[in-house]
Amino acid sequence: MKVRLDPRTKLYMILIVSAIVMMSATTPLLWTVRIIMTMIPILLLIAEKRYASALRFFMLYIIAIVLTFYFLSADSTGLLKALLTGYCGIVAQFLPALITAWYVVRTTKIDEFMSAMQKMHVPDGITISLAVVMRFFPTIKEEYASIRDAMKMRGIALADGNIIKMLEYRMIPLLFSCVNIGDELSAAAITRGLGGEVKRSSVVELKMSIADYLLIVGFTVATVIFVFFKYVKR
Amino acid sequence: MKNIVEIENVSFRYKGSDKGLIKNVSLKVKEGETLLLCGASGSGKTTLIRLINGLIPHYYSGELEGTVKVAGRDIKGTPLYELAGIVGTVFQNPRSQFFSVDTDGEIVFGPENIGLEPSEIKRRADLVTKDMNLKKLLGRSLFELSGGEKQKIACASVSALLPDIILLDEPSSNLDWSAIEELRTAIKKWKKQGKTIVISEHRLWYLRDLIDNVYYMENGDIQGRWTGEEFFRFTDEKVKVLKLRPVRVEEKYMAKSGEMSKSEKVRMILDADKDSILLKDFYFTYARRSYLFRKKKPTQADADILSLNIPKLEIPKGVVVGVTGKNGTGKSTFLRCICGLENECPGIIVEGGKLYKGKRRIGLSYMVMQDVNHQLFTDSVEAEVLLSMKNEDKKRCDEILDSLGLLEYKDKHPMALSGGQKQRVAIASAIAADAKILLFDEPTSGLDYSHMVKVSELLRNLADDGRTVLVSTHDPELIDLCCDYVLSIKNGRVYSLEKCSRMENVKIAL
Repeated sequence: MKVRLDPRTKLYMILIVSAIVMMSATTPLLWTVRIIMTMIPILLLIAEKRYASALRFFMLYIIAIVLTFYFLSADSTGLLKALLTGYCGIVAQFLPALITAWYVVRTTKIDEFMSAMQKMHVPDGITISLAVVMRFFPTIKEEYASIRDAMKMRGIALADGNIIKMLEYRMIPLLFSCVNIGDELSAAAITRGLGGEVKRSSVVELKMSIADYLLIVGFTVATVIFVFFKYVKR
Repeated sequence: MKNIVEIENVSFRYKGSDKGLIKNVSLKVKEGETLLLCGASGSGKTTLIRLINGLIPHYYSGELEGTVKVAGRDIKGTPLYELAGIVGTVFQNPRSQFFSVDTDGEIVFGPENIGLEPSEIKRRADLVTKDMNLKKLLGRSLFELSGGEKQKIACASVSALLPDIILLDEPSSNLDWSAIEELRTAIKKWKKQGKTIVISEHRLWYLRDLIDNVYYMENGDIQGRWTGEEFFRFTDEKVKVLKLRPVRVEEKYMAKSGEMSKSEKVRMILDADKDSILLKDFYFTYARRSYLFRKKKPTQADADILSLNIPKLEIPKGVVVGVTGKNGTGKSTFLRCICGLENECPGIIVEGGKLYKGKRRIGLSYMVMQDVNHQLFTDSVEAEVLLSMKNEDKKRCDEILDSLGLLEYKDKHPMALSGGQKQRVAIASAIAADAKILLFDEPTSGLDYSHMVKVSELLRNLADDGRTVLVSTHDPELIDLCCDYVLSIKNGRVYSLEKCSRMENVKIAL
């Protein structure tokens, strides 16, 4: 089964999940809502055939939840339990946001993203800057890999344990090549009409599907329940 | 035919630099004409291209005098985005000229920018895809394409804007022979469609029969004008006087660097009495069998998935060996394995009675990368060389720098040097590290003739000092200039290792 979500739905998901993780769950009902909301991006990852990352996230989250409920309590003592409480607290609290963000970054194409931003009437300046940032990540990765090779060849990968040197040797060539590439990239982009006064068009036709509406409604309802039972009807 | 580009008495100087300036240049390009700009690097070819596509004065600022008119508009008063549908440019570096991360998005990027209707954009994308035979490349990530494929996409995305004028700025610099052949096809197609084409280029042979007029640039001025026919009939001596790369390449080199003849016979011709370096068990694969066996090093038994499969190879010591073969046949992988960058390659090197394997290969050899910027780490040339020495020895450092003509730049920042100087700094640190085998990954791509001669002299000197030099290249000219042997690699295997008889070539040239 293939679920193609609209980038707008994805952005909405990120917004909602980030809001939810900032509020702590206190009752079993609230926990249920949170866990359901975490399972949705994991299921979406499975639908995208990203089994390995889905499994990894699932295990991480489930272990943290199980430990929190059956192993740790308010009067746990000892170093191990203290560390575990910290780990589980952070994972159970913030992992949902991480999973959602990961899902969105991995499955959204740049042109889809730009098209969605245009539909939401975000100014082109902001859209293009964000798109360039997305375009640049793989470039940085490539450049960094070459630099690491060069360091290995020189035998200075560890720079004799001098952390500042280690950083310097990596950053100087990386900055120089990124600046060069950025300069050439913008020259190439403006000769192809980027930054003109005409409104950019887009071949990507975004259409909200049933899945989009279901998710938006679902996430909205979940938020309402969460807020209502946490703050209004205690 | 009317003139589509008119450059009149134009002088230009980049802000804060004397490089690439042009002086009082006048030039007219007729509609439908194919024009070649040739000349040494820094002679002003790229500056002319930038004047026509409007990057000067809108992106690169400086002092500009005179008028440039493109399709009847004065460039100075025309914003760049208005030129986007009229002038298209293919740049030198395939890595840095695409904006999207996938091929489809890249082709439609230009048309989207000028705000065309989605249906029209799709029509154009389909047309370009069919025209340029891109079906196989659609829907792929641009980061996994080869240089040649990227350049093809760049041509397509320029085509999709349907410009009247197409500019190409050293488009073949990073391409292998088969990719150059495809580039030639693209240019031919544009010519047939009646486009006006201006090409700035160092490699000349592939443009034969395509060029109407040739302008020769020197020191920022047009110093020679010929028709394409006259130009491609020039004798080798005349081309050499002009400091250009050859206008024709001998058939036998075509065969050597391009597709080999069908027979799979491996020929190895070596001088028996010469000392040699033995390479054994050089296997490497990019396709890993399964998760469980990931740690297992590749062996001969995995023959079907090996990207590199060289059980045994003997290379004479103290010579220059040219490594040829198409892109993606394992040239770079071979070099990476020799210098120990690929841990999984079980290869053994025997040199001077000593055996090197695994991580120890790293100290034995040193690779000068194609993008030399990646391997300069410090803030002065001297520090760069000292960094490579086990015990810092300033006297030896000075000697090395002197031998490479770098002594006067000793305190300069490596990034402030020219491309050729940077290359020599990298070589200096290789010598300082006492590397016995020096590897060069396409050191002459994008260089003009005189720089290429300089590189070839350097390689010769390194070999004459007793180091063994392996140089991967697509330039038959370089092989002709300095290689003693040619090693051709095909599908990750050694296809042949032949002695290169330079004397014989001289005879043919005469």
